[in-house]
Amino acid sequence: MKEGKWLQILRRVGRFLRRKPLGAAGGIIVFLLVFTAVFADFLATKDPTRTHPAQTLTPPNRTFWLGTDNLGRDVYSRIVYGSQLSLLVGLGSTLLGSVIGGIVGLLSGYLGGKVDLISQRILDIMQGLPLLVLALVMSAALGPSVWNVILAISVPLVPRAARIIRASTLTIREMAYVEAARALGSKEGRIAFHHILPNTLGPFIVLTTAQLGSAILVEASLSFLGMGVPEPYPSWGRMLSVSAAEYAQKAPWLVVFPGLAISLAVFGFNLLGDALRDLLDPKLRRQ
Amino acid sequence: MKKYPKMFFVLMGISALGLLLSSQASGAQAEPKYGGILNASHIADIPSLSIHEEATASTVWPMMPCYNNLVLFDPLKKQESMETIIGELAESWEWQDGGKSLVFHLRKGVKWHDGQPFSSKDVKYTFDLVRQAPGMTVKLRVNPRKLWYDNVEAIDAPDEATVIFRLKRPQPSLLMMLASGYSPVYPAHIPPAQLRTRCVGTGPFKMKEHRPGEVLELEKNPDYFIPGRPYLDGIRYIMIKDRATRTAALQAGQVDIAFPFDTTKTIAETLKKTNPDMVIVETSQNVNENILINFEKPPFDNPKLRLAINLAMDRRAYVQAVYQGGGIIGGAMLPKPYGVWGLPEEELVKLPGYGDPVKQKEEAKKILAELGYGPDNPLKVILSTRATASYLDPANFVIDQLKQVGIEATLEQVETGVWHPKVTRREYTLAANRTGIGPDDPDANYFENYKCGSPRNYSGYCNKEIDELIEKQSQTLDFAERLKLVQEIDKKLQIDGARPILGWALDYFAMWPYVKNLVPHQSVYNYGRMQEVWLDK
Amino acid sequence: MRVYLLQRLLIGFITLLGMSIVIFVLLRLAPGNIVDIIFASAGYVDPEDKKALIHELGFDKPLIAQYGSWIVHLFQGDLGKSYHYDVPAWEIIKPRIPVTVELGVLSILVAIALGVPSGIISAVRQDTWLDYTFRIFSLAGLSMPAFWLGMLVILLLVRNLGWVPSLLYISPFENFKDHLLQFLFPALAVGYRSSALIMRITRSALLEVLREDYVRTARAKGQRETLVIFRHALKNAILPVITVIGIEFAFLIGGLVVTETVFNLPGVARFLVEAILSRDYPIVQNLVMFIAVIVVLSNLIVDFLYAWLDPRIRYAG
Repeated sequence: MKEGKWLQILRRVGRFLRRKPLGAAGGIIVFLLVFTAVFADFLATKDPTRTHPAQTLTPPNRTFWLGTDNLGRDVYSRIVYGSQLSLLVGLGSTLLGSVIGGIVGLLSGYLGGKVDLISQRILDIMQGLPLLVLALVMSAALGPSVWNVILAISVPLVPRAARIIRASTLTIREMAYVEAARALGSKEGRIAFHHILPNTLGPFIVLTTAQLGSAILVEASLSFLGMGVPEPYPSWGRMLSVSAAEYAQKAPWLVVFPGLAISLAVFGFNLLGDALRDLLDPKLRRQ
Repeated sequence: MKKYPKMFFVLMGISALGLLLSSQASGAQAEPKYGGILNASHIADIPSLSIHEEATASTVWPMMPCYNNLVLFDPLKKQESMETIIGELAESWEWQDGGKSLVFHLRKGVKWHDGQPFSSKDVKYTFDLVRQAPGMTVKLRVNPRKLWYDNVEAIDAPDEATVIFRLKRPQPSLLMMLASGYSPVYPAHIPPAQLRTRCVGTGPFKMKEHRPGEVLELEKNPDYFIPGRPYLDGIRYIMIKDRATRTAALQAGQVDIAFPFDTTKTIAETLKKTNPDMVIVETSQNVNENILINFEKPPFDNPKLRLAINLAMDRRAYVQAVYQGGGIIGGAMLPKPYGVWGLPEEELVKLPGYGDPVKQKEEAKKILAELGYGPDNPLKVILSTRATASYLDPANFVIDQLKQVGIEATLEQVETGVWHPKVTRREYTLAANRTGIGPDDPDANYFENYKCGSPRNYSGYCNKEIDELIEKQSQTLDFAERLKLVQEIDKKLQIDGARPILGWALDYFAMWPYVKNLVPHQSVYNYGRMQEVWLDK
Repeated sequence: MRVYLLQRLLIGFITLLGMSIVIFVLLRLAPGNIVDIIFASAGYVDPEDKKALIHELGFDKPLIAQYGSWIVHLFQGDLGKSYHYDVPAWEIIKPRIPVTVELGVLSILVAIALGVPSGIISAVRQDTWLDYTFRIFSLAGLSMPAFWLGMLVILLLVRNLGWVPSLLYISPFENFKDHLLQFLFPALAVGYRSSALIMRITRSALLEVLREDYVRTARAKGQRETLVIFRHALKNAILPVITVIGIEFAFLIGGLVVTETVFNLPGVARFLVEAILSRDYPIVQNLVMFIAVIVVLSNLIVDFLYAWLDPRIRYAG
C-alpha cells in the first residue's frame, strides 16, 4: 500500500518532467537553491565575513572560486550564505502574506455582508501601490531588519491571496457538499477548513510560487537602494549595491555573480510557477 | 595686498610638485583661455545652499564659487598652511595687542550680486551671526561651526573698510579657520533663511539655476572685483546619485572633473586604464575613520578593555582592506606628507594598534582573558554605524578584527538622519565613525572632538590635562613649539583611546587634461572657488 | 453601465483616501524625522534649536491636525513645502512628472512590442522550440533585477564604446535625438521586464480562444490559419491583454524607482527614494499619492474599457 503510494507520486513527477521540461528545470533550480541554503556551512569554503586585507579584489582563482570583494571577502561563500537570506525572505513573506490573506479571504467570503465590504476596501488600499514603492515606504518606516523586510514584502500578497480564497469560498459555499456537511452538524470552522481549503490549493500554489520569486527580487532592489536587510547577513542585493558598483569595472565578478544568483533563483521560481499554472489551469491544457 | 602669482609660477608650481601622475607633462602652455562651461560631477542631494548652515562638501563645493572669504588658502597651492593664506575681501590684515586683535583692511568698491555695496558691516554681521553674539536677532537654523569662534570677544567695524576681531586670548589659528571654505562672508541685507535656496555673494560666479537633485548651474559674475577673473563662463554641477554611473560619466567625458573624495585608488586605476590621458591628483581629504568607544557605558568604562579594542585593530591591514592601499595611517591630526601636524612614523609605531599585528592581537587576548573573557565566555558587543557604504566598509572590517581576538560584535545600522543625534546622546556602546575636519589645523580638530563637554566629543572622553594642553597649544605663537605640543596631545589621545583612529583615506581627484589650474588641497572643503580654473579646449 | 462606472469611481476615491491615511501613519512611524536630518549635517544637535525648528515646521501639532491640513491643502492644489529644499514641493515635483510619464509610456510601448507578438507566436506554436525560446526569453526578463540589467548596460556601453546616454536630462525641445537616446536604454530595460506578463497573458488568452467552437469551425471551413488567428481569435483574446497592460502600466513605476537611479533620469520615482531617505514628508506623501492616483486611474481606465468592450457590462444597468 505504502509502496504503491510512493510509486504513484514518482510516476506523477515523471510525467511532470516529461510534459513540462521547463517546469522541471525550474524545479531543479529551486531544489539547488534550497540545498545550498540548508548545507551552506558545508558548501562555503570560507567564513563569509572574514576580510583578507592582502587579497582585496582578487579575480576568481583556486582559493577564491568567484574572487574577492573590496574588503577581501570570499564572493563564493557570501553567495552561498546569501541563499539563506533570499530563501528566508521569500518563504517568510509568502507564508505571512498567504496566512493573513487566507484568513481575511475565508472570513470575508464565508461571513459576507459588512465584513466582506470593509475587508474588500482595505484590500483595495493594499493593492493601490506597486510592490517596491510600498516596500520602500514600509521598510523606511519600520527600520532595517530582516523581519521588517519580510513584513513589508508580504503585504502586497495579502490582497491577492485573499481574493483567491474569497472567490473559491463563495463558489464552494453554495455547493451541495458543504450544505450536506452543515446539515450533518459540522461546525462552521471545520467546514471551512476541511472542505474549502483543499479546493483552493491549485491557484494558491501558483500565486505563492510567483510570490517567492518576486520577494527575492524586491529584497534585492531594497538592499540595492540601501533599505533592505542590514549587514552582517550576506545579501545578494546588497552585494550589488554601492561597493560592487564602485569596483564594477575593475572587478566585474562583484557585479556578475550576485546578479546571476538573483536572476537564476527568481528564474527557477518563475519557470516552476509557469509550469504549475499551465498544469493547474484546465483551460490551458492541450486537448 | 598679496597678489595672485603670475601664470608661469603657477604652472611651474604644479609640475614641480609632481602632482600630475599623468604621463603628459603640462609644461609649456599658452595663456589662459576664456570661456567654456565646466561640467562638474556632484554626488547629488545638496541639503541646502547655505554654507554656514551645513557641514558637508555637498554644499561647500558647489557654493564656494558664489562667495568670498576675508582670506582664503591660495587655490593654486596644494598644501594649505598659515603661509599660503591670501587675501580675498581683505586686502591685508595684521595682529595687534600681542595677538589678541586681528585687524582686516577690506577691499573697496566690491558689490554683492544684487548690486548692493559690500562693507565692513557685512563682515561683522556674518561672524556675529555664526558665533551667535549677544543681541543678534537673526539666527542660523543650524549652526555647526559656532565653536570655531568661541574665543571671539567682539567684532568691531570702526569704518567701512576695517574690521577688528577682538579675542579673549591669543589664537593664531583663527586665521586658518577664516581661510576655510566654510567661512564665506554673507550679505547683511538678506535674511539667512533665504540663502538656503539662493545665493547672493560677491564671488566670481552667480547662481543661474538650481534644479534639486538634477543640476546646479552657476554663471560668470561680470562685475567680479578681480579684473580678468573668472575664466570660465559658467559651471554646471551635475548630480549623479549612483557611483558607478558617476564614474561612467567621467569616462564618457560628460563631466570634466570628479567630485572631491569620490575617486578611490581603485577607481583611479580603472580610469587610467580606460582613459590614459585622464589627470589623477593624489591628495588627502582630511577625513578619518575612527572607533567611538562609549567611556561611560559598561564594560567600556574599564580602560583596560578600551586598550584591548585599540590593540586589536590592525591599522595597516585596514588601509589595505578598506582603501586597497589608497590611504595612510595616522593619529588625530592629518599625517605627513599631506598634513602639517601629523605624528611621524617613528612615533606612530609605538602606539597601541600600530605595531606588530600578531603580537598586539595576542596582547589584546591576554587582557580579555584577565578580565574573564574567553572562548567559553566571549565578550558580546553591538557595533553601531551609519547605514552608508563609507561607514559600512570600516564597520565590517572592525567586526572581523574583533572576531579575531574573540569579541563577538553584531552590527547595528543606523539611518543617516538618526546617526548624529544618537552618538551625541551617547546611545551606543561601540561605533564606527567618520570625522571630517575643515582646515588642517589643531584648533579646528581638538576643540570640537576632544575637549570635555564639546557636543561633538561623542565618546565622552574627558581629560583635564589634555584640555589644558589644548588651550596652551592654541595660544602658542611659535610654530615649532606649537607643533611639539600638538603632537604630544595626539600621542596621549591615541594611548588613552579617546577615539582610536583607523586610517585616513586619500583622494585621487580625477579630471580631464584640458581642465587647468584646478589644484586639489589636503582638505576637501577649501579649494572650490574656481576663479582661476580655465579650459584648454 | 453608469451605475457600474460610478461605483468604480467611488471605490477608487475610497482607496485613495485610505491610502493617504496609511502613508501618513507609516511616515510618522519612521525613526528619525526631517528635524534630525537637518541637524545631521551639523554633526550634533542643540536641544533648544531643535525645539524651535520642530515648532517652525509644525511637528508639535497633533497628528490629526497635521493630517487634516495636508488633505485640505491637497484638495486646494497646494502640495506643501519641501522641508529639505525649503521650496514649495510642487516646484520640485512638477518638472519630474513628464520624465517619469514619458519613460513609463515608452517602456509600456516596448513591453507591448515585445510581449504581444511573442505571445501570439508562442500560442500558435504551442510546445514547439519556438514557444520554449520565447517563454524562456520572457521569463528571463521577469527574473533579472532591473537595476542589474541597467548596471550591465552602462558598464558595457562605457567599456566598449566609451559612451553612455546623457546623464544630464536633455529636454526634447533642445535636442530630440539625444533625448530619445537618453530614454531608449532605460525604456528597453524596464519594458523587457514588463513584457513578460503581457506575453504570458497574450499566450494563454489566445490558447483559450483557439479552442473555442467558432475558431474550430472557422478552421474546419478551411480558412487560412493566419486569417483565423487575426480575424477571429485575436479579437476575442484582446480583453485580458488590455487588462494586463493597464495593470502593468500602473505597476511599472515600481521598476522605474531603481532604473531612474541607475540612468540618472530626474524622474518622480528616483526622487521618491531620495525623499524617503531624507524624511521629507511633504514630498514623500505627495509622490506616493501621485503614484497611487496613477494606479487607481489606470485601474479605472481598464474598468471603463472593459465596460465598453464587454457587452455583458455594457448593456447591464
